[in-house]
Amino acid sequence: MTDSTILLGAVAYDPKVVTIWEGMRDYFREQGAPMDFALFSNYERQVETLLKGHIDIAWDTPLAHVQVKLRTGARSISLGMRDTDCGFQSKIVVRKDSGIGSLNDLEGRTLAVGSRDSVQARILPLYYLHREKVDLSRVEVLRFDTDLGKHGDTGTSELDVLAAIHDGLAQAGAVGDLVWVAEQAAGRVDAGKVEVLWTTPGFNHCMFDALPTLPEEKVAAFQRVLSSMRWDNPSHRRLMELEGLHEWVEAGEEGYQSLFQALEAGFYDGAVTG
Amino acid sequence: MTAPSPGSETASAVAVDGGDLPLGGGLLALVRPALDLLEAGGVLAVISTASSLEEDLPSWCRAERHAYLSREGLPDGRTRHLLERGRLSVAAGEREYGIELPNRGGRVLSADMLAAVPMPERAGSSTGFAPRGAQVEPGGPQYPFSLLERDRVAPPDVAQLYDQAVASQWDAQRDVPWDTIRPLAPVLERALGQIMTFLAENELSALYVPARFLPRIHPYYAEVAMFLASQLADEARHIDVFLKRARAAGGGVGVSSVTTAQSLLSLLELEDFTEAAFLLSVLGEGTFLDLLRYIERYAPDEATAELTRRARLDEARHVHFGLAHTRHALGHDAGLYQRLEAAVRRRAATLHTAGGVPAHLQDSLTMLAAGSAEPKAVARGHEAFRELLDTMHEQRIKRVLNAGFTQEQAETISGLHTPNFM
Repeated sequence: MTDSTILLGAVAYDPKVVTIWEGMRDYFREQGAPMDFALFSNYERQVETLLKGHIDIAWDTPLAHVQVKLRTGARSISLGMRDTDCGFQSKIVVRKDSGIGSLNDLEGRTLAVGSRDSVQARILPLYYLHREKVDLSRVEVLRFDTDLGKHGDTGTSELDVLAAIHDGLAQAGAVGDLVWVAEQAAGRVDAGKVEVLWTTPGFNHCMFDALPTLPEEKVAAFQRVLSSMRWDNPSHRRLMELEGLHEWVEAGEEGYQSLFQALEAGFYDGAVTG
Repeated sequence: MTAPSPGSETASAVAVDGGDLPLGGGLLALVRPALDLLEAGGVLAVISTASSLEEDLPSWCRAERHAYLSREGLPDGRTRHLLERGRLSVAAGEREYGIELPNRGGRVLSADMLAAVPMPERAGSSTGFAPRGAQVEPGGPQYPFSLLERDRVAPPDVAQLYDQAVASQWDAQRDVPWDTIRPLAPVLERALGQIMTFLAENELSALYVPARFLPRIHPYYAEVAMFLASQLADEARHIDVFLKRARAAGGGVGVSSVTTAQSLLSLLELEDFTEAAFLLSVLGEGTFLDLLRYIERYAPDEATAELTRRARLDEARHVHFGLAHTRHALGHDAGLYQRLEAAVRRRAATLHTAGGVPAHLQDSLTMLAAGSAEPKAVARGHEAFRELLDTMHEQRIKRVLNAGFTQEQAETISGLHTPNFM
């Protein structure tokens, strides 16, 4: 390995992460930009390792991205994101028989939410409800704190939320839009029983983060190779489907403002790992 | 749904009436096929009374990379949602629609299918097992098919040959009068067992050799693979009946000669489809036609005559395909004459240590024609066998001429053919 090798960090939230980054490593080498990767069990450790300069780039959730921004005084650089990370939304899903017809009707009812480090199933939906003047102190929040440290990547807590609504443990719940439509498309949502009450404003999701000290040539090589991936190229498509995107797009910072505000307003209880 | 008019075409705008279906309650079964009719940028209108779509359709479009353009209320209270088809995963080509295969007295022919959906001159390796005519999504895996040129794979009449093959299948249990077999003198029964052994051994090679090429054929030329599949079924049936005849009355299975083993290995090792078609089907199976006719003529019972007759009719079809294939390929590649002749010479060179016709077989064919061990009868048998060799050579020359070679080439090629017949 030489100094020109880009060392990238990713969190092993699923066995497929190995397949993805082994494939990406081979692809980067083919493209003349040697890259290797290190896997972490949680985003807190990955963020700390990036900040110490032990890895060049971290593939971060929005929560990890915002933490990197906060810890570096907004000097960290953002290298790119998936098309699917732009305009992410959360859904407030309700049982049709709950009688909940407006956001304020949630007061006095049970709202299922995902892991406390899941931006789409916990932090932002609760923050947005607060912004919409829902008195959260009057809402019974049913928490599914699964896979902590993975920041909701596994999607398990969102499935727990949907199951709780179907089973009547909760009258409402918060899930990300991609899980919601994927579960519907797969026929795993009883459309006669549950429906969307409200959709949050859009926000951005995952991001490649680096310290401002990352050499320019590594930045350029990483972005060049990443943006060369094409959906209609069979070897690229396999990796892109696994990683859940159609094309890599330029970083957009504006989509994280609500998350900064949510953290500032105390909507993240803090990490329990790391 | 507003469908495009018959024919294969892509629409620029389509509408579906979704009734009150929610996204997760069946609506996608209307929306997705409708989007498939659109080119990238085409617009789909979804008319619906389901209020949940106001939340769910935009999210679904985001996940699937379509654009949710707008919604508007209609005077009747329903809502019209407008979606623009995204540019990703638009399958190549146009949606086939409107082909109606003719019904010919209750039969639908493969030949008509081929006429309706002709084979392209070349096929790519990224369409996988997609049938000819299917739209193929981009980004699929590469397949290892290597026979990608129509003129090297598919003679024009392959579909007719396939139709014939299907119509000519027979049942080895039902269609052979096995109860006509009567005990023969041991010397004759053993001779017949030896002949059946030789036939089965050669037919095993005729099962394995085409099978090697079948997975190399691009599925756009599926009729060729399907014809070969019928050929494999034929060979399986022949192997079955030959071995059953060997063991039906005590004659038993005989000797496998080194000459036969060497000859068949040289077929199995062929790597070129056209060379294999020429050597196996035109020369080998062609020669077998004369051999089977000889066995049928001197068969000691009706069962033996019938099973060799039926096998010969099947083999004639294989020879026909081999001839059509070779002739068509020669017509598109003048250099192929030299390559096929060279293949025959190479094979002859590898078999130069082999003797003449395998002795066990020669003796058995002599005894079959003789019908008894009485010396005068054996002399007649010997003469019949000698005539068989002459007939095989003459007929082989005719077939090679028929494939498109000159008289001189045909004589050379026939003379170099293996003493093993196949």
